Amino acid sequence: MDNILEVKNLKISFRTQAGTLKAVRDISFDLKRGKTLAIVGESGSGKSVTAKAILGILAGNTIIEGGEILYDGKDLLKISEEDFHNIRGDKISMIFQDPLSSLDPIVKIGKQITEAMLLKSSTNRREARKEFNDRLAILKKCMVAALGQNNAAEADELCKTFNKTCIEANHLENAYNIAYTGAADLLSYTEDFLFKAEKKQKLDVKGLLRDYKSRLHKIRDPFLTRGMEERIESLGNELGDAARAYVSKTGDVTGAVEVMQKLETLLKELTGKERPDFVSIAYYKLFDPEAKLDRPQSELETVARKFMNEKFLDRFREVEEKAVTYSYETALNKKIAVLPMLDEAHAFFGTDFTKADAKAKCKALSDEIEASIDQLEYIKDSRAYTFRNALSNAIKNYFYYLKRNPKEEARFARQTRRREQLIARGKNVTWKVVPKVVYEKEELRANILTIIDRLKEHYEEYIAAAPAMDYHDRSQKLVNHFKSKASEVVYRVTKSMAKEKAIKLMEEVGIHEPRLRYTQYPFEFSGGMRQRIVIAIALAANPDILICDEPTTALDVTIQSQILELINRLKAERGLSIIFITHDLGVVANMADDIAVMYAGKIVEYGTADDIFYDPRHPYTWALLSSMPDLDTKEKLDAIPGTPPNMIYPPKGDAFAARNKFAMQIDYEEHPPFFKVSDTHYAATWLLHPDAPKVEVPKAITDRIRRMTERLEGGTENG
Amino acid sequence: MANDREVLLKVENLCQYFGPTKAVDNVSFDIYKGEVFGLVGESGCGKTTTGRSIIKIYDITSGNIYFKGQRICAGTKSYKDAIKEARKEKKGCTDSTRIAELDKIIADNKEQIKRAKFDHKNSDKEYAKKLVEETKAKYEEKLKNCSAQDRPKLEKEYKDALRVARNTKLITRIQMIYQDPVASLDPRMTVREIISEGLVINGIKDKAYIDEKVYEMLELVGLVREHAGRYPHEFSGGQRQRIGIARSIVMNPELLIADEPISALDVSIQAQVINLLNELREQLGLTILFIAHDLSVVKYFSGRIGVMYYGNMVELAETEELFAHPMHPYTRSLLSAIPLPDPRSEKKRTRIIYNAIAEHDYSVQKPTMREVFPGHFVYCNDAEEAKYKKEYGR
Repeated sequence: MDNILEVKNLKISFRTQAGTLKAVRDISFDLKRGKTLAIVGESGSGKSVTAKAILGILAGNTIIEGGEILYDGKDLLKISEEDFHNIRGDKISMIFQDPLSSLDPIVKIGKQITEAMLLKSSTNRREARKEFNDRLAILKKCMVAALGQNNAAEADELCKTFNKTCIEANHLENAYNIAYTGAADLLSYTEDFLFKAEKKQKLDVKGLLRDYKSRLHKIRDPFLTRGMEERIESLGNELGDAARAYVSKTGDVTGAVEVMQKLETLLKELTGKERPDFVSIAYYKLFDPEAKLDRPQSELETVARKFMNEKFLDRFREVEEKAVTYSYETALNKKIAVLPMLDEAHAFFGTDFTKADAKAKCKALSDEIEASIDQLEYIKDSRAYTFRNALSNAIKNYFYYLKRNPKEEARFARQTRRREQLIARGKNVTWKVVPKVVYEKEELRANILTIIDRLKEHYEEYIAAAPAMDYHDRSQKLVNHFKSKASEVVYRVTKSMAKEKAIKLMEEVGIHEPRLRYTQYPFEFSGGMRQRIVIAIALAANPDILICDEPTTALDVTIQSQILELINRLKAERGLSIIFITHDLGVVANMADDIAVMYAGKIVEYGTADDIFYDPRHPYTWALLSSMPDLDTKEKLDAIPGTPPNMIYPPKGDAFAARNKFAMQIDYEEHPPFFKVSDTHYAATWLLHPDAPKVEVPKAITDRIRRMTERLEGGTENG
Repeated sequence: MANDREVLLKVENLCQYFGPTKAVDNVSFDIYKGEVFGLVGESGCGKTTTGRSIIKIYDITSGNIYFKGQRICAGTKSYKDAIKEARKEKKGCTDSTRIAELDKIIADNKEQIKRAKFDHKNSDKEYAKKLVEETKAKYEEKLKNCSAQDRPKLEKEYKDALRVARNTKLITRIQMIYQDPVASLDPRMTVREIISEGLVINGIKDKAYIDEKVYEMLELVGLVREHAGRYPHEFSGGQRQRIGIARSIVMNPELLIADEPISALDVSIQAQVINLLNELREQLGLTILFIAHDLSVVKYFSGRIGVMYYGNMVELAETEELFAHPMHPYTRSLLSAIPLPDPRSEKKRTRIIYNAIAEHDYSVQKPTMREVFPGHFVYCNDAEEAKYKKEYGR
């Protein structure tokens, strides 16, 4: 339910001169909301390719052979480039591996960071407005349906009021936020100033005080600075006086420090204030003709909240919950009704069918499915939304390949014959026969059937979960969703705001003197610094999903750990979901909730971080773990012999068999399926088969796990 | 314990300035014969610059580097500064004895500069001269005693040996492995050409000997003879790094400077290269200066570790000692940042943040490198030394 991104049976290959290179071979994984999934593997294992597929930036010679990437009700493999513009960078963002090639060498750093913010600002607002309105219209429709046609006017009124209030509240909050961040920034500068003054470091006292004065004057908001205007005014004047009185030759800063301490107390007071409840205040302001806004905050809030609850909110909540219940139940009933249709479709596509029939069937079924979607769901049901596209595509492929297969066979035979003839004549043949791309009819049919089956399975789960539905919670979440959309509508980014935000981001990722660095070019930065810029750019647009492709490989430990902490903090603060690609298992232990170990285009082991590190099952995972030294390693390292296989000719059976000292005969013959170790832990190795011989886990790993548990127990005893 | 070992490389007050940037500032350390000395620190702290200064890629600003007891690099800035200081004092001075003293100082320092410049420029020549003498002595003895029919053969041999001796440079006894195996190999040379280039420059003309040597090196680093005719792009990253290693050990060096040799490689390959370096060290008796930022690897690989921070060496100790009793706050911060393959402890790990300004109070006394415990050096002043001693009171 709370999977933000689902990858299903993804298969990708590359057309190269030597033949088709199978980069990703049938992988599936889910990314949970607010969690980190780490993909671990050597270079060439297909982890970066997977990431690029999610972002839709694969190279031109890519063939996507099958599979789905579901995000927000869309299949990312099938949407148009236009649609991708709204997702890429904005919803899904990426930190690239090589900071050299991902920055424009002739554009200043500042411009590169702010570029996306400024460009996205207006489109984002338009999009958010559109979505807000659409959703509200649906809500209104559901309200009308729930209340009965007679009360249509009331529903209309409620929705209108809600719309107005949300937007007004966000206007107020925006103004408040600007003032608040101004105060918070100034506070940090003040603390910095006092620290430096105490340590007797060099300071441009005059310039700084003047700067602070102008900054202080900009902090103005009816809610934040209520009753403090005079104090701010006089303190500003004092700052000015102190700046004038300061004589740089003597270097005596006592006067300045005194004023700055006063400023610090004032700012601490300001930033420590409680945030007012903007929604009720906005409603109060809009709809009470006798609204008195200049009361003290707590009083104002009580009055406003009471006013809003009485006049509007209680009723709105009640109606909204009714609407949500109505919408959910209608959808549920429709879903139950759809199930037999799916069975029927399964039977229909199970036997031979004609093109016209199939198309008609597809259309009818898709219409029903679309009708059965709960429109008020704030997390879109990707499976149902993408059903029409997926099914019609599969049908199209079915007929396309049925028609094309004989032609392809003929072409292949012709070319092979030609080549053999030439060779027989003793000619030097430099060209190669293009390998044939042929799909079996049954395989194509199976594609269609899986789509139907998967939806059915999904719906059955949905229906099974129905009795536990908490309508109140659901309606609450919907209101929050509306509010967040409304804040996007109002949020306008100006150039100077973008600059301030960029500088703050640069500071966050650990770049010293960001104001100076803002106007520099990429070549003036060292490798580590460049990587930080790349991270700042990726975070600039507040994405939902962040894909990190070896973000810290080029950095040293201290900075690496800073960057990882930064990513972890952002994850917690913004509820980011992260796909973390790396080959460094130490990094993974810190970051990951779930881990997928990839080898030669397949996932060989999948589990939580604890599963992989404390109970690894696949020989490749063992090899990865034992080939890196930790702080207690003394003995010779277990290097993995050889190199990964050439994926133009993927080996038969388990691709890792050739490098695996535990390989059995069957590993060379058949690829192992996923064996389930626990509910969260799966591994694709024949060693887990009941008939397999018992194999000892390498000593280096058991030793390490023992050490880790000992340390952990020791740690808890001490703590 | 450390004192009876032979010092192979001695770095003394090495300073390397690039304009106003002090990339390396007053760094001193010794490397003993046969050990692996690890140099760690964050990027931009000057560890690569130190390595490059040692093999004379840069002309050092001031300080001395001795290799096998001979000075190979010498900078002049410290002497020049002393002269400047003396001249300044001389201007306002009226005391005649003092003036004489100052004159002597200036003259001394001028002499020092002269000698430093000579050593810096001619250390290779001196070494070659010594080698030529040795070869001459050896062959003249032989020539005297040999029969008439062996004579032409021996004479030819003598000529070749002399040429090699004349072309040999002391600096070739130090070799370097570079970080990036892709960028450090010429794409237009075959592996044979790459590995044998040093030998050819050294004046060896015997094709058969060169081929033999190349094959030997290839087998030593775990490649096969057939690889000699190929070009670098035909190899994987790990194999390329092996070629780089083969190129550096073909000159039979005594000191190998490995500048982050594994950071550009894949995990499985990293272990292969570390194992290879370990084997080579045992077989050839190499001494290695290992520059890296991956502390787990450095700990696994080296015997002593020097920690650098912004151009300064802040701590130097035996590996076990350093990890067990880190003293300098920067070292502690560095150790606390090591990621480990252990999720549970990793989630609890807190990084110690190092802030140079808040951590030290050097307003009273400037810090210097001090031996706080035997073999354990820390960059600190009196107060801090007392603090460290108290903390680890042994």
